[in-house]
Amino acid sequence: MTLLEAPPYAPRRPAELLAELEGLTAHHLAGCAEFARCWPDWRPQGTLVALPFLHVGLFKRLRLVTQGPQLEHQRTLLSSATTGATPSMIVLDRHSSALQARSSAAILRDFLGPELRPLLVLDSARALLRRGEVTARTAAAMSLKPLASAIHFVLGDGEDPRSLDWAKVAEVAEGATGLLVYGFTSMLWRAWGSVEPPEGLRRVLRGQAIHFVHSGGWKRLEAERVTRERFDAALLAGAGAGSSVVDYYGLVEQVGIIYPQCEQGLRHVPLWAEVLVRDPHTLAPLATEAGQLQLLNVLSWGAPCHSVLTEDLGQLVPGACPCGRHGPRFRLLGRLPKAELRGCAHG
Amino acid sequence: MAEREQLSCYRSPRGTVALAWPGDLDALLAEWHALREVMCRTLPAAFTRDEWAYLVAFAARDQLEGVLVRAFGERVADAGAPDWVVRPRGRVAVWLPNNVSLLGPLLVIMLSLTGNEVELKSGSSADDLTAAFLAFARQHALAGGALGAALERIGRQAFGHDDPRQAALAAGARVRIVFGTSAAADAVHGLPHPTESAGFSFVERHSEAWIEVGAVDATTVDTLIKVFAIYGQAGCTSPRRVVLLDGEVAQALALRARLAERWRQVVRRDLPVHLASANVMARQLAAARGWDAVLVERHAAVLAVGGAELAPIEEPMTLLLSWATLEQAVARLPAHTQTVGYALAEGQRRPRWLPALYRSPVRRVVPLGQMHHFGAVWDGAEYWSSCFEWLEVR
Repeated sequence: MTLLEAPPYAPRRPAELLAELEGLTAHHLAGCAEFARCWPDWRPQGTLVALPFLHVGLFKRLRLVTQGPQLEHQRTLLSSATTGATPSMIVLDRHSSALQARSSAAILRDFLGPELRPLLVLDSARALLRRGEVTARTAAAMSLKPLASAIHFVLGDGEDPRSLDWAKVAEVAEGATGLLVYGFTSMLWRAWGSVEPPEGLRRVLRGQAIHFVHSGGWKRLEAERVTRERFDAALLAGAGAGSSVVDYYGLVEQVGIIYPQCEQGLRHVPLWAEVLVRDPHTLAPLATEAGQLQLLNVLSWGAPCHSVLTEDLGQLVPGACPCGRHGPRFRLLGRLPKAELRGCAHG
Repeated sequence: MAEREQLSCYRSPRGTVALAWPGDLDALLAEWHALREVMCRTLPAAFTRDEWAYLVAFAARDQLEGVLVRAFGERVADAGAPDWVVRPRGRVAVWLPNNVSLLGPLLVIMLSLTGNEVELKSGSSADDLTAAFLAFARQHALAGGALGAALERIGRQAFGHDDPRQAALAAGARVRIVFGTSAAADAVHGLPHPTESAGFSFVERHSEAWIEVGAVDATTVDTLIKVFAIYGQAGCTSPRRVVLLDGEVAQALALRARLAERWRQVVRRDLPVHLASANVMARQLAAARGWDAVLVERHAAVLAVGGAELAPIEEPMTLLLSWATLEQAVARLPAHTQTVGYALAEGQRRPRWLPALYRSPVRRVVPLGQMHHFGAVWDGAEYWSSCFEWLEVR
């Protein structure tokens, strides 16, 4: 796994990446019958755009697993963005989990530094108690685990931003030399960004470098006319010097690969991953136009999650980034617009 | 002030019928017909071109007269001493499904002919064409004419299933017509309602296209595409499955190839990107489950060929193609089957295999191109004529 040994945004090694992805594809074709039935005629063609993929929606309908020597499947992650939604079924294995943990740690260190800090998760600890099932936001929070000295769930009710346990926050903050705070974008705003912490705690927090990390999208906040600038300013106003707000994008189907936003507002692709943009009506690759994102990585061995066509829109941005990171970068443009098929059936 | 009743007369097998209608029914038919000229010049933003074209055809005078003739018999100038006097029954309440398509506008037209007060209820989150059609018809109806008066009797509300207005609607209706899930229909009919009122439930349905091998020609291919593409699997009258009668896999694959080749000529518009993407997923799901599935150009649909042993693919724009003997096709019909749309080899006016369906769950057997045609009898129920009371005269 030589790619994963390099820094995430080092100069690209395209031949190596292609070889690894083609090898991984062959592994999944041999070990996953459903994947093989989707791509019966595939042969390596020496190009990334020809690599097979699975549509993200397939993981909500099928439990996809790849069998192979030395693959030890641990459990199936049932993950949904919202309560009641059909969950994705992501099969986890020991080998991939180790790679995924290394990957997310390397990416996060690049943005947040190597220090370990207490992680405050804006969710309820009850989210962890459902056996074999975890919400998308809990899975997202757990991707920060490699940078956490300890993890504290600080909501009494995972759906209620007013249930934030400020006393717990104070208790953790008092003894810390920096904090990591993770929440879904809308929850981070409602529980923390849009409220005043208790008087005594405000002084403590202003003395702390706090890294606010969030994911999940802006749709709910757009309805409330909360801009990114207002969001960041509100969070940083109550935090100390060296604090930051990091918005990242990722899929539960691609555990271990996250795409934090850089200072330029763009997402960078780590050395062991790739992003393609495709025309939704033809799947033709798009160089600079907006289209459907396909995410690839070399980490997923126990299930064919290595190449996923998402329902998200994005746009590749050419050229070098002033932030100094190498490799492809893209602008995330949100979800594919939904329009229900009108019928006379019943729903 | 109530409009003065006018009589129109019909001769039915059970005797002469005088329809006592609150106003000028002939003028109403003429004004619906005339509205079509305006419709042909204007396409409201809420409608697709196909939807609007269907409404234009539906509002034609001969089509609407056919509804009356089917219910009451042949129109005659004078019934003399009638054997029956038919009059509007009273307020009609309609519960529309959430993903309402043309159903609301079609019911506006149909129920306007009953002379009753009508209240159409949509879901609070419905993408509802009813309001758009009512607004259009009211705007373009002749001032002081019969159509305007008929539309005055029609109301439309939108609210959720737990809204207190739900109970008021049921309590005040002489006829309840519910489109939706079985649970929704049970809930509505379980509300307090007048003892002598009538209730109709139109719940989840499945439809199929049965195509004889000898009937596969250019017309059948184009008709099948049109019938499926308008609603996909979201339509209860859409063919979820195509059965090639007495066919085999090679013929199903050949039909699939013809459909794929013609699809974009017949349906030129692109699907919304979300549905185009869903089709990529559906193609993979079908393949993973053993179907031989292909995407139509520009992801307009998924065409999946497979045998009866395969689990159906329930995705919006996936058309399943299979083959069967007549006996197998009948045996595989789900209990909630509504429509079988047929394409017949030459020389048949009605399917020669019709008797095989007499004891099946099927409610409608119609030509392929008429699968979506809405009428006064639906799912085998005479809901439209039940909007009248029959006064026996001897």
